[in-house]
Amino acid sequence: METKLIKKELLPGIVRGLAEDTLVYAPVQEEDNIMFRVLEKDMEPILEFANTKNAPKNFFFPQAETMMRFLKKERGAELLEVPIAAREAVLFGVRPCDARSFVLLDYVFDDPKYRDPYYVERRAKTTIVSIACVRPPYSTCFCTSVGGHPMSKEGADLSLVDMGDTWLAEAVTEKGEKLLQNMGDLPGADEAAVTRKNEMAEKAAEVVKADVPASTIKPWLDENFDHDFWNKIHIGCLACGTCTYLCPTCHCFDITDEMKKEEGRRARSWDSCMYWLFTQETSGHNPRPTQKERWRQRFMHKFKYFVDNFGAVACVGCGRCVRYCPVNIDIRKIAQDISKL
Amino acid sequence: MEINPYVPMPVKVDKIITEVTSKDIKTFRLTFINKEDEERFDYLPGQFAELSIFGKGESPIGIASSPTDKGYVEFTVQKAGVVTSELHSLEEGALIGVRGPLGNSWPLDYLKGKNLVLVGGGFAFTTIRSLIRYALDEENRSRFEKITVVYGAREPGLLLYKEELALWEKRDDIEMYVTVDKGDADWKGREGFVPAVCKEVAPSSENAVALICGPPIMIRFTLPEFFNLGFSKENIYTSLEMRMKCGIGKCGRCNVGNKYVCKDGPVFSLAELDKLTPEY
Repeated sequence: METKLIKKELLPGIVRGLAEDTLVYAPVQEEDNIMFRVLEKDMEPILEFANTKNAPKNFFFPQAETMMRFLKKERGAELLEVPIAAREAVLFGVRPCDARSFVLLDYVFDDPKYRDPYYVERRAKTTIVSIACVRPPYSTCFCTSVGGHPMSKEGADLSLVDMGDTWLAEAVTEKGEKLLQNMGDLPGADEAAVTRKNEMAEKAAEVVKADVPASTIKPWLDENFDHDFWNKIHIGCLACGTCTYLCPTCHCFDITDEMKKEEGRRARSWDSCMYWLFTQETSGHNPRPTQKERWRQRFMHKFKYFVDNFGAVACVGCGRCVRYCPVNIDIRKIAQDISKL
Repeated sequence: MEINPYVPMPVKVDKIITEVTSKDIKTFRLTFINKEDEERFDYLPGQFAELSIFGKGESPIGIASSPTDKGYVEFTVQKAGVVTSELHSLEEGALIGVRGPLGNSWPLDYLKGKNLVLVGGGFAFTTIRSLIRYALDEENRSRFEKITVVYGAREPGLLLYKEELALWEKRDDIEMYVTVDKGDADWKGREGFVPAVCKEVAPSSENAVALICGPPIMIRFTLPEFFNLGFSKENIYTSLEMRMKCGIGKCGRCNVGNKYVCKDGPVFSLAELDKLTPEY
């Protein structure tokens, strides 16, 4: 795979150039937040930022999307459209933790038995460009505890590393290589640049201080579904669902029908295991009746069930749930407390 | 083109049978509009499907017919929520959708050569009915040994598939024990709760597998009877229900521990359930 160097001052222009004939999503300043948005003509991509407020999962798994449209008829309804087709797109400026989240989401949505066509189509049409965390941005970062690395290329098609006055651009997949070729005539990276990048990677990993025992607690989780420990972790939880909405790997959804006169749609929208209605049955029975069971479910799903099913922890250590929880519930601390039991 | 697992197959409601005197349980016989969908809907007893009404939503329902019933598929549905209420308001000839078949099935390979003890309570009898129809089919009957059925309802008017029960009673290759909690003036059959009837019938656990479906209270009191009869947890199966949306293990709500009821279930042996969390 090719590795090139891009002069710092050239990259914004190159990204805007790509946006002329492809759909490009890039981080932009929006009020107080850095958010991924479709890059329009007068917009400037932001290349130096900590991380976006929202996780980029919504490009493949939108917060709300139409699964099918239909028309009410006298004796039933006629299916009008199943909108699956997606445009070629570039998702530019994803942090390595978030890029890794796509590998985990693939296990769920690109499962060979039941492929999710909406997700798979967008994923196939999109080239992901990551920006390595040479200086991991937050004290809440813990990617190194969950199998990631601040300069990981996992999940990315093209990886960018800030080398000071240049970007080191490393193609990871064929898609990334193609995109790199479309960026114009760029000089190749020499041996020295690659060596320097590797040194930077070592230093970057050292900056991530958090030591979360994400995988070593698995044997405890296997045995202690009924432990008293679970009686306390949810205390204070408002069931707002912020953690699940901002989480790059949370994938739960609802399916609902909407009607407007005779026309209707079946839509999918994000749902959350933090809500009582999520598992409420028509009979009135709820297998997860209180926030205790819901919190245990969220934690177990990430650190036990997903590991059982796919061999990976369903957490990329981005720290969003820690930073934005309104009552400061800290998933790292829960893991640490378990490891002391 | 690859099949979109979320798109329902169009079906016609060919026949509606009101099963019970309370009129809130009906059987819907559905026929496929497209021949290729009928072939695609290749199912086994114990599986379920999402019944889909555009504008209302979907509801996961166990398949009540048997794959040996050609040309149609049947679902027995209790009127309860938005979708099932809409279903109950339909007339014959209505067009709806079916998405499936979904989930695993009764363990047919394991049941081969075994004595079957089939226990149903109330409305939960539907997928056991599927298995009985399947097993009594000429081509399949020899694959199973003795078949014993214990089926109970609260009162005679709440028994499902009455005509069929009467036909099965007349056969000599299936032993039927139909019971009601309390009979009425016309009831000439057995009275008593399902656990008590199971105790009385006392099916041998020798080379036998029990499939038990019913309300939680019935299951709770029936299981000890089967343990007393010597049935191991490996030889007792049941079928779980949970709130579902996608039916294919993605939307995240119907898991019991690391298993999804929609994809890995709904049928589990007690031994398998023991390994899962008691959260259902």
